[in-house]
Amino acid sequence: MAQDVLPARATEAEAIPAFDRHFFDGSEKFTRIGGGAVGGKAAGLALIRDRILSRLDPGEFPELVVAVPTLTVIATDLFDAFVQRNGLLELAVSDEPDDRVAHAFQRAELPAELPGDLRALAEKIHVPLAVRSSSMLEDALAHPFAGVYATKMIPNDALDADTRFRKLVEAVKFVWASAFSRDAKSYRRSIGIEAAGEHMAVIVQEIVGRRRGGRFHPDLAGVARSYNYYPTGHAVPADGVVNLALGLGKTIVDGGTSWTYSPAHPKAPQPFNSIRELLHHSQTRFWTVRMGRPPAWDPIRESEYLEEPPVVEAESDDAFRLLVSTYDPESDRLVPGAGRDGPRLVDFAPILKLEELPLNGLLRRLLALSEDAVGGPVELEFAATLDVREGLRGAFGFLQVRPMAVSGEAVQVSEADLDRADAIVTSSSCLGNGTAEVTDVVYLKPDAFEAGATPAIAVELERVNRALLDEGRRYLLIGFGRWGSSEPWLGVPVTWGQIAGVRAMVEATLPQMSPDLSQGSHFFHNLIGCGVFYLCVPRGGERRIDWDWLARQPAVVETAHVRHVRSVRPVRIVVDGRNGRAVVLRDGGHGG
Amino acid sequence: MAGKAGFNPFEMARSQFDRIADMIDLDSGTRELLRTPAREFAFTIPVRMDDGTVKVFRGFRVQHNDARGPCKGGIRFHPQETVDTVRALAMWMTWKTAVVDLPLGGAKGGVICDPHNLSPREQEGICRGWMRQMAKLVGPLVDVPAPDVMTNAQHMLWMLDEFEAIHGAKYPGFITGKPVGMGGSLGRTEATGYGLVFTLREALKELGVRAESTVAAMQGFGNVAQYAIELYTRLGGKVVCVSCWDQKDQTSYTYRKPSGVQLEELRSVADRFGGIDPAKAKDKGYEQLPAEAWLEQEVDILMPCALENQITGDNVGKISKRVRLIAEGANGPTTPDADKELVARKVFVVPDFLANAGGVTCSYFEQVQSNMNYFWEKDEVLGKLDVKMTSAFLAVSELARKKKLFMRDAAHVIAINRVAQACKDRGWV
Repeated sequence: MAQDVLPARATEAEAIPAFDRHFFDGSEKFTRIGGGAVGGKAAGLALIRDRILSRLDPGEFPELVVAVPTLTVIATDLFDAFVQRNGLLELAVSDEPDDRVAHAFQRAELPAELPGDLRALAEKIHVPLAVRSSSMLEDALAHPFAGVYATKMIPNDALDADTRFRKLVEAVKFVWASAFSRDAKSYRRSIGIEAAGEHMAVIVQEIVGRRRGGRFHPDLAGVARSYNYYPTGHAVPADGVVNLALGLGKTIVDGGTSWTYSPAHPKAPQPFNSIRELLHHSQTRFWTVRMGRPPAWDPIRESEYLEEPPVVEAESDDAFRLLVSTYDPESDRLVPGAGRDGPRLVDFAPILKLEELPLNGLLRRLLALSEDAVGGPVELEFAATLDVREGLRGAFGFLQVRPMAVSGEAVQVSEADLDRADAIVTSSSCLGNGTAEVTDVVYLKPDAFEAGATPAIAVELERVNRALLDEGRRYLLIGFGRWGSSEPWLGVPVTWGQIAGVRAMVEATLPQMSPDLSQGSHFFHNLIGCGVFYLCVPRGGERRIDWDWLARQPAVVETAHVRHVRSVRPVRIVVDGRNGRAVVLRDGGHGG
Repeated sequence: MAGKAGFNPFEMARSQFDRIADMIDLDSGTRELLRTPAREFAFTIPVRMDDGTVKVFRGFRVQHNDARGPCKGGIRFHPQETVDTVRALAMWMTWKTAVVDLPLGGAKGGVICDPHNLSPREQEGICRGWMRQMAKLVGPLVDVPAPDVMTNAQHMLWMLDEFEAIHGAKYPGFITGKPVGMGGSLGRTEATGYGLVFTLREALKELGVRAESTVAAMQGFGNVAQYAIELYTRLGGKVVCVSCWDQKDQTSYTYRKPSGVQLEELRSVADRFGGIDPAKAKDKGYEQLPAEAWLEQEVDILMPCALENQITGDNVGKISKRVRLIAEGANGPTTPDADKELVARKVFVVPDFLANAGGVTCSYFEQVQSNMNYFWEKDEVLGKLDVKMTSAFLAVSELARKKKLFMRDAAHVIAINRVAQACKDRGWV
């Protein structure tokens, strides 16, 4: 089982050599500081190195050099010492706002065992670094914490070692503090883990990429999954799915727009009606690390050193032509590459369609090896920097592997079930598999909904969620647009922690809010991993929501945009993942 | 070390130097220069006492060598102070700053007096009098004093105040050991003890031993010992005994707890000088043993962190065969006789002027911060301290390994070579 493969755990730390104060020029590229556990993410990286890359024949894809970028892990014992010696726990588990906790962590002192190693690292290294969480709970199969904790990218290019050291220390403390963000605490509570029950290791890792003027980013980054919850066209779930983006992978992790394709059908057309529509739904901005002149000092902001310029600003990157197609208005078609002027579409066509680089072949091979190593469906994160100067070559950084949860319970919802009179929600596009009963339903009032109010709605939902969590009640959530969207005009920008008690969620659309689904984000990964059902009810389709029934239920709480009702008898949620059908039945499903 | 009958510390320092000078074949000019202090000041300090009389004290400052940078060294108050003690200590300061590669030279100062018998006002008079005599001969770019035996941050502030009054400006970088908030550096309190353990940690790596599997015995329970225990136990080691001076009985005792001493527990029954209350210690399960018992324990590591001349030719044979490492937190805890036996037994020694250089390194950091009038976070101080101490240790151990030298000799070779080279580069020799 995957849990056996990724134990994250103190015994594994023993197997990782101690950091010898040489980052790049040491004999080891994967080291540890401290003696505690290394956390789930680091355990995943060890798995990549020991059981996946060791089985990859370098001669198979000679154009792409695959490696885990050099890293050192600060083990959990130093996190524990930091929290305990500085007396931070009481504040950390309190209900204080995140920035108060983060500031307290910034002011606290590192355990004396640590600064020497960090100082030595800062003195030797001048390349951008990613400081990533690797918690004990993170990336474990049962409770995927993907995206709940922080990652901080730092340019690490200051001329003096003192400044580099300070920025590195700030980043480590920031990531530690994220173990106690409200989201993280709320998430832990939803899965029955106490607020203090987390121990976080931190990975300090070189960022895959290249400096381009005042910026540093990889040419492309991506997430590949061996199981596709939303296969389109000829694809089947087992074909898997890949999301690619220009620049840092944050675009994908945050649920932004990226290029999604099936690795079994990399050349298949996208499910859009026109090129105009396709252009409209493609990546237009990319994430990059800002180098050179420092931005305003703000150590408790995750994106302190990041910026998101328009894609057009990557035109001067050497490998840009490999990442795009250009729209030719005369022929109304897309031409792979950037050989002519015109609107660019970030579709990686020269790589995927013209196969100038065997990226897709490599991804398929890595997915297969990873599935084999983990013993089930997997999700991979990667980034690549391409070198076009002497023949086309690339450095492929393998950043993460984590198991995916795919339920196998036999549940059947027939077409006829979708027409049942006692159904309050029906959907023929759903996610998850199984049944559940809840009495609490939280829904956004259709009449009061407006796209501009989504940030306020997120706050209202957080309060309702917290009250329900306190009572230990799971609930059905119904709303409009893309849940967890990073773009407020596409949906309610809730974080996972703000709705952590949800048992099933419904994504409906309204005329003023009808975006596409949000596949690809960490938010979605958490949804699946926590066994939360997801039902989609698009506008104008056959499927429906019984708003009248909802309105008749007595309200427990009603705010400007949100109504929380409690039915006398539970509603039963039945999700048939295999056929993609789901119903929510009133009166426990016995009424109809 | 001041004034023991028949023992001349300056002669000892010179003979140590001569032996290393022979080893590295130092030319006669450089040898003569380095075995002699560059400048010596001896002067009177008249102080009007609280009873209205005037008492004249004797003060010293010896600047041994400043080829690598401004002189650095403490000012001691001791009734048996002699100029030869001050000379020896000044020379040792030169080697100490050089072995950790600080851009500083070596100096030492003192006053023949016993602060126990002086009121604070009288002590202030001595401090200000010392500075009136020396104000034109010391300074942030010339010679930077610090607290030492029986002097503390208060004495330094009086001296600084007098210096600034004479020169008519603020010079926080003139003196170190100031309190935090008055120009002092964070991390200074921990620096010597932590620095000791940084070198000990590296020595264990060199021996291929994991800190978690080691047991140590500690002599002393003062500032250095306490912080050394703190960091060593955090690295996973276990301290099974400490020894300390008992003011009432006028002797030392060793307090042992085989399951491992608990720092906070012992601190709670100790006075501010590190003297442990015997009755309370026994209540907490500590066994009281004779003074020297600390060095007879079945342990892997000895950390002498109290006084000089503790491991001698007479008692070195009592050290357990299990001991593989001695990290010297105190100055001069091991006599040359004992050294010979330790060499024969292949015990790894981290010599005093390397092992306890964390204090002077942090003093240097305080000097740098004070000169900028910009102060670092503690993380930054400890990060720099660790890197500095580790680099110094690695340089010494590498030389010891390559040239098959005893660690103490290797450290001296590095330090003396650095100072000699600086003198050559300046065209002095």
